[in-house]
Amino acid sequence: MGSSLPAKEANLFKVIVKSYETKQYKKGLKAADSILKKFPEHGETLSMKGLTLNCMDRKSEAYELVRRGLKNDLKSHVCWHVYGLLYRSDREYREAIKCYRNALRIDPDNIEILRDLSLLQAQMRDLSGFVETRQQLLSLKPNHRMNWIGFAVAHHLNSNSSKAIEVLEAYEGTLEDDYPPENERYEHNEMLLYKISLLEECGMLDKALEEMHKKEGKIVDKLSFKEQMACILLKLGRFEEAEKIYKSLLFMNPDNYKYFIAVQKCLGLYSENGQYSADDVDRLRALYKSLKEEYGWSSAVKRIPLDFLEGEKFQEAADTYVRPLLTKGVPSLFSDLSPLYEHPGKANILEELFLKLEESIRTSGCFPGSPHMEPPSTLLWTLFLISQHYDRRGQYDIALDKIDEAISHTPTVIDLYSTKGKILQHAGNFSAAAALADEARSMDLADRYLNSECVMQMLQADQVGLAEKTAVLFTKDGDQHNNLHDMQYELASGESYYRQGDLGRALKNFLAVEKHYADMTEDQFDFHSYCLRKMTLRAYVSMLKFQDRLHAHEYFHKAAAGAIRCYMKLHDSPAKSSTEENDEMSKLPPAQRKKLRQKQKKAEARAKREAEEKQEDEATSSNTSKSGKKQNARPVDLDPHGEKLVQIEDPLAEGTKYLKLLQNNSSDSIETHTLSFELNMRKQKILLAFQAVKHLIRLDENNPDSHRCLIRFFHKINNLPSPGTDSEKLIWNVLEAERPDLRQLHGKSLVEVNRSFLEKHNASLAHRAAAAEMMYLLGPDKKLEAIKLIEDSVNSTASGNGVLGPVKEWDIQDCIDVHKLLETIFGDQDVANSWKARCAEYFPYSTYFEGIKSASAAYCSVNSVEDSSENGVVNGTVHIVDELRELSIR
Amino acid sequence: MVCIRQATIDDLLAMQACNLMCLPENYQMKYYLYHMLSWPQLLFVAEDYGGRIVGYVLAKMEEDPSEPCHGHITSLAVLRSHRKLGLATKLMSAAQAAMDQVFGAEYVSLHVRRSNRAAFNLYTSTLGYQIHDIEAKYYADGEDAYDMRKPLREPQPKKHHHHHHHHHGPGGCCSHDAPPAASNSPEKKTGS
Repeated sequence: MGSSLPAKEANLFKVIVKSYETKQYKKGLKAADSILKKFPEHGETLSMKGLTLNCMDRKSEAYELVRRGLKNDLKSHVCWHVYGLLYRSDREYREAIKCYRNALRIDPDNIEILRDLSLLQAQMRDLSGFVETRQQLLSLKPNHRMNWIGFAVAHHLNSNSSKAIEVLEAYEGTLEDDYPPENERYEHNEMLLYKISLLEECGMLDKALEEMHKKEGKIVDKLSFKEQMACILLKLGRFEEAEKIYKSLLFMNPDNYKYFIAVQKCLGLYSENGQYSADDVDRLRALYKSLKEEYGWSSAVKRIPLDFLEGEKFQEAADTYVRPLLTKGVPSLFSDLSPLYEHPGKANILEELFLKLEESIRTSGCFPGSPHMEPPSTLLWTLFLISQHYDRRGQYDIALDKIDEAISHTPTVIDLYSTKGKILQHAGNFSAAAALADEARSMDLADRYLNSECVMQMLQADQVGLAEKTAVLFTKDGDQHNNLHDMQYELASGESYYRQGDLGRALKNFLAVEKHYADMTEDQFDFHSYCLRKMTLRAYVSMLKFQDRLHAHEYFHKAAAGAIRCYMKLHDSPAKSSTEENDEMSKLPPAQRKKLRQKQKKAEARAKREAEEKQEDEATSSNTSKSGKKQNARPVDLDPHGEKLVQIEDPLAEGTKYLKLLQNNSSDSIETHTLSFELNMRKQKILLAFQAVKHLIRLDENNPDSHRCLIRFFHKINNLPSPGTDSEKLIWNVLEAERPDLRQLHGKSLVEVNRSFLEKHNASLAHRAAAAEMMYLLGPDKKLEAIKLIEDSVNSTASGNGVLGPVKEWDIQDCIDVHKLLETIFGDQDVANSWKARCAEYFPYSTYFEGIKSASAAYCSVNSVEDSSENGVVNGTVHIVDELRELSIR
Repeated sequence: MVCIRQATIDDLLAMQACNLMCLPENYQMKYYLYHMLSWPQLLFVAEDYGGRIVGYVLAKMEEDPSEPCHGHITSLAVLRSHRKLGLATKLMSAAQAAMDQVFGAEYVSLHVRRSNRAAFNLYTSTLGYQIHDIEAKYYADGEDAYDMRKPLREPQPKKHHHHHHHHHGPGGCCSHDAPPAASNSPEKKTGS
């Protein structure tokens, strides 16, 4: 490095490199400048100066200098390496790899560059390249532990575990017998456990066991050791030994379900789907009875039997289970039991049980058959449980009665208000739900959980501004953008903006979530070298796998789906500015409209100014701090409302980017393919739309949306003019060839397909609606018949009536969807209105259907109003407050 | 009722969500990754019967060679909806045991807001922590923190395992470390 320079400058060059490594950029810059004074075109110095400037946020200069440096010295590996580092800092990994490769062509054995290259190869999952580079590093420096480990891990990632084992064993061969020294015990332990997991992965189970016995003394992570050994024994069918270890694990932690399941497996008493023969149930019952004696303090041992017991035995066990928890007042009891509602018949048994307990406490103050007086709170928690039970069953009237009784029993228990809010939310009254959540929040302002719940309820009620103000109470220094990593918040707020037609802000939120995922992908970079040093290899490999499926995560899926919907809407009706504001504005007379616009512009300018000032403040303060806490300085958001996002040229192309991520990562989701269908139909991409239809049919042919897409697709195809161009003919031929593969279509007209779909799902509202919609699409003259099909649907009673009245089947969201269908697709306001009136009776709390009990005020108790001015959030609940005043006067 | 187990990499996003739900001190995903990839044995979660993460403990080893080997609780949270189950105690015991057994920690330290009485009680009366120091204005909003410690190596009173009764201490939140100012993850190695 720094070759071709005289001694003095060569030393200065070393200073630049050193300064760069120690982040003393100013010093480095000074050294570079003094070389350049004498040798203004010295390539490597120019490059290093550029790299230094890059770290000082002077990007464009950096690129210019680095490129000039390279041009002046194309034969310098330093210049190429620096160019690669520059690209790497901008996450342009492919370009960076090319640069490193050029550098290595000049200096093939340069360890630094090889190491940097290997990191990028790991990051980009160029696994065969990674193996190659790690091999080279090992052969250059075989005395470094990290090079052995890196080579082994590379083989493992490249799906060659047995080679990885060989490498690790060769590495172990280089160690003394008394290795490791005290301070490296942990690292060595991790290496051994990694090797054992590799053996297990290769199916070399006996070898793995043997290794474990041999190395037991050197493994300090005894928990992993035991878990792994038990797991291997189980795989080997050595059940008794495995069971013994699992029981000792249970002794250490009797709250780990996995150990219980494993014990069941050891005894041949485990079924994936939870179905057991009567004989197995008896054996299971006996097993848990004995486990209960051994691990009496475990709560799992009492809860698990509720899953497999049935009928009377179930009722008895449930009874024993809930009593102490009611006495103690465990708020999560219902959520703990709720998975049981999926088991046929158990909800009814629980209902009977709960009502029996309630009755007994009311009349005697004791549980049935018990001589012990219960404390007064037992009734409260019983009511709380019953209320949630009825909420779950959709019987909101009873649920609200019970929770109200609980509240008047003990008005100070905050959970009651949160739960009441949730009931109202489920019943379709979001603003009342938000008011209740706000009341709960105001009862303990220091509890962020209550704040978060309230914020989510406010967003559900489309009170975004209020939600933001409330959330800010818990984000530091009043900076509302500080909870930047709260993806749940961003998603809920994006969805609310979408509902309100503000596509700009909706997109802004959805894309923010997407950005978090991009950042997480980026986050792994530093760990490629870190973990090799730390030796946390099991965690490292699982982190890489986690990263590979990161975009399959729920939040990402929701954000991408939300963004795609926004882009499709933008395509269907291109943006002017913000739609919602326009709607509001169009109602105003022109003079006022102008005024409002001016006011908005001023406000925006002010916001921008403030943001910039703040930015400067932060920049100065962070400059003064010595270590350059760069991450605090956030760039000014020049598009805080997403107005630029909606001005996009080709929204469908933008949507396609996110669709691809969904297709690659969530291919088992119906939603992925309905979005693909919608998007590709808009793009006139017939074959891609057809692919989507095929996926939908494969995933769930009975899904109403799958059916819609199938019919809509072939209806469109049937009505296309006969193909003209060659490519059209080609598409045509493909479809003709594929069509017979769709079983649904065999020898049937679309009308017939639709009819048989209807017959098959005659009892379901959502399916009937889909069939009616398609009937109308296929024959516009069938409109009345289609409408009648919807109107004739019956909201029947769910199988198994509850004790306190019938449980109706219809879901509120399905009914809302039908209403929208009648309003938009059928365009028949009268029919829509009568549907609405009908649903208002089923859902009296629903604000959407304007049911008789949907006025918000009735559900917010008066005492919260008095506090509401103290808690920092006032606007927005004002209307409720006013209504309440009226109530209280009367 | 609630499963206590070691966290896996797949739990990190849910742990972050749980943290954001309960506590004002929040961390970037990289900080969670840093813990998981440095001391995978020291992260535990509480998972409810439906598979939802309702509590977690995020802990680390302090690696300053000038101090004795000790662990540190970075963050602990339990959803308010899942209090009264002794989850905080169980999570803490699990992390402390791992510090002791895997890393040979002599003691464990943590920070707690002065105003957080519920958490303070849990640490002192149930878990045996003592105030070691007070860090003035430790938190971003200017509140002081108690710097608390509990010895792990000295004559252990008794194992936690077999107790039946748990202290039903703090409701939702037991907060700890203020977020690191700069990214506290592995140091970047660069250079040519």
